Amino acid sequence: MTTPRGGYFGKILEIDLSTKKFKTRTIPDEVYRKYIGGSGLGAYFLYTDLKPKTDPRSKENFIFMGTGPLNGTYCPATRVSIAFKSPYTGIYGHSEVGGNFGNEIKWAGWDGFLIKGKSPEPVWLYIHNDKVEFRDAKQTLWGKDTYATNDAIIRELKDNDVRTIVIGPAGENQVNYSAMIVDRFRAAGRSGGGTLMGSKNLKAVAVKGTGWVPVAERDKFHDAAKNAKKLAVDLEAWQGIKRWGTAGLLELKNFKSGSLVTRNYQTTWYPDIVEIGAEQAGREFWKRHQSCPNCPVHCMKVGVIRGGDYSGLIAEAPEFETGTMLGSNCGVADFDPYIKTIEMCDAMGVDTISMGNVLGYTMELIERGILSHKDVDGVKLEWGEPEAMVEMIRKVAHKEGKGGKLLALGVKQMGEKIGKGADYYAIHVKGQELAAHDPRGDKGRAYSYALGQRGGCHHEGTNPKEHAQWAMLNSLVMCSFVGGYPWGKYTPDVFTAMLNPLCGWNMTGEEYWTTGKRIITLERCYNRREAGVSRKDDVLPKRLMTEKLPEGPKKGAVVSPEEMKKMQDEYYAYFSWGDDGLPTKETLKNLGLEFAIS
Amino acid sequence: MEFEKEETIPLSVVEKKTSRRSFLKGALTTAGSVATIVTVGGFKTPFAEAADPAKKKDKMKYLFAVRENCTGCRACEYACSLKHEGVVRPSAARIHVTKYASVVDVPVICWHCDDLPCINACPTTPTAIKKDPETGAIKYIDDKTCLGAKCNKCIEACPAGYLRRNPDTGWPIFCDLCDGDPECVKACAEQAGNPQGPCLMAGKLGFGVNMAFRDVTPEEAARALHKNFFYPNEKGERR
Repeated sequence: MTTPRGGYFGKILEIDLSTKKFKTRTIPDEVYRKYIGGSGLGAYFLYTDLKPKTDPRSKENFIFMGTGPLNGTYCPATRVSIAFKSPYTGIYGHSEVGGNFGNEIKWAGWDGFLIKGKSPEPVWLYIHNDKVEFRDAKQTLWGKDTYATNDAIIRELKDNDVRTIVIGPAGENQVNYSAMIVDRFRAAGRSGGGTLMGSKNLKAVAVKGTGWVPVAERDKFHDAAKNAKKLAVDLEAWQGIKRWGTAGLLELKNFKSGSLVTRNYQTTWYPDIVEIGAEQAGREFWKRHQSCPNCPVHCMKVGVIRGGDYSGLIAEAPEFETGTMLGSNCGVADFDPYIKTIEMCDAMGVDTISMGNVLGYTMELIERGILSHKDVDGVKLEWGEPEAMVEMIRKVAHKEGKGGKLLALGVKQMGEKIGKGADYYAIHVKGQELAAHDPRGDKGRAYSYALGQRGGCHHEGTNPKEHAQWAMLNSLVMCSFVGGYPWGKYTPDVFTAMLNPLCGWNMTGEEYWTTGKRIITLERCYNRREAGVSRKDDVLPKRLMTEKLPEGPKKGAVVSPEEMKKMQDEYYAYFSWGDDGLPTKETLKNLGLEFAIS
Repeated sequence: MEFEKEETIPLSVVEKKTSRRSFLKGALTTAGSVATIVTVGGFKTPFAEAADPAKKKDKMKYLFAVRENCTGCRACEYACSLKHEGVVRPSAARIHVTKYASVVDVPVICWHCDDLPCINACPTTPTAIKKDPETGAIKYIDDKTCLGAKCNKCIEACPAGYLRRNPDTGWPIFCDLCDGDPECVKACAEQAGNPQGPCLMAGKLGFGVNMAFRDVTPEEAARALHKNFFYPNEKGERR
């Protein structure tokens, strides 16, 4: 057992909410080198700490807010990864989010927080370097939306520079797909982390650190990190993102790639996107650009609505995923209330991707007569009715009425509950809704959706090698824009050039890829153990494999079952898994995962 | 003010301006919306030119921040602490960026005032800090003179609310302008894609103007920015 030379502190903070006690847990360098940090380390903790088939909402399940070695160093665009057993999908869940929270954990002197137990009363945590305070949330914070919570914490601590991660009413009421919000606008939405925080009665975590991250070889590391940043600055592709944010993709995906999800995956052609896209936002809405720490890309665009019913509304919107799922997926073409739906999701703390999918799904069911307006408490959920959507989002977050309770389940469970063939229209993989790229127009995304370990995720890579790369990014906890595209296409040199002098390692490119494979394989083992996930679960929803795209640039495209099978085979072959989609004994032995052999 | 937002300048005025912009004329005549974008992107303030490393002056006396251009990326904090501490440690940086209402970022800098309120307030004899007349750097003369955590005079005297303490030693941190070549300015200029242009400027531009800017505390500046960017609706609400 060796202590890390740099990049890590070698300790994580273990907090038990039941007993209101905390302790330090030391992590040896070998474990870090095998699982890196963030989601990789989270998977390792889940596999080794939790008993098989633990109830995700029990007090044994934990939230691991993990960082990687690069957090808090000169490396640009680092994030924080939150890993847990998902209360939504019942399998491995993780969610990454930008902002300042991850770096602050590092500067406070920790590699991560592992929060378990269940508080009897609502509580929030303030962690200032090595001090941990359990503060009462019942009087001050409980019931507040995410913005007000963030503001109240800053006011209570009298410190503008404290960084928070909070949940809104949706998390408190344990809506299945609720999100955790960092720095007011950044959301760790997928997999239902907010639900888990809510089930633990944990309203918020605030952190402030004044330390620094040790570096093994300073000069060498900082040269490498500056070089890495230069690559991100120079890349031509970023000029568009710098100016338009990810919203610029809205128009692009509609007019060029034909993969803009529209009306619950019925088509990908939505010319009205110009009403709610980046150009409209640039013309009428955006006021400022914001950025994650040391990141030259500045993809956040904050704006204010000037005039009209929603005058004075401040939001960080639209982004590609939120803009599509709450825009074209619900047939919306009215800019101001559309911004309000996005802002409402952030304020209530629900995942915009899942929420948009659920709303689109409900609208289609109503259109097809499977559901009636009565089932959703008379809210007029029809294509292009953003005001009704705002009302519904509020109801869902508070689980209000029959409709609110129904929609809070998410599409898979809704389909099972409604019956009448409704599950055909439920677009999900492994229980989690798909995101805003239609895999028929953008075939690479089929890899990401069908084979991603957390289910229905657009962020897992478009080929097997990218999956390994993305697993590394989520464990290094790097932004997949800055880290993924310019550096990762697809040589590990940029990363190993930084990691080796930082941590005092001698990692080769080969070891880098092996580590990525190891993390994916461990996640897979965990999913197999918890829910028996195998090849049968690695498929796209039936609709996307049978209905051809009716119009748009990719007219007639469909992901055929043969293509799907080819992808699966290719994927399993790359990770040396068996034909059933499960890691073989030999593979596990080669990757040093002997403990996962069953 | 000269660094006012470019969009507000009428096109006719833009066209009449210096030859530096004449290349834009073609674009301007084609499409209105496109022209605006090009103007915003291609526009270089006089400040931006001075921040250009090639034209950097060896001797500099002031640091200057165009507050509304800050995107909160904290590259200045990173570069500063890297230079002075050898590691990235924003809590000990000589510049910091504070957030207000989560939507406004305000760079908090030392304006290197000509009337030296911090040095005049220093109770020790000789004063523990001095200003280098050549570069404008404010530095400790001798590490042992400062009373450190026991004294709060310079921090109270600073009109810009800039001074803060080193979290380890409790001593105030002063900006020495990296002896005439500030890392923060270089880092800010390097964020070249920032569509708003760089925020930090160096050189003599601050002359005169900085004395007016420095009397605004970060909170006041933040409130003003918040008001200007995110103006409220008819009822005075911001939602």
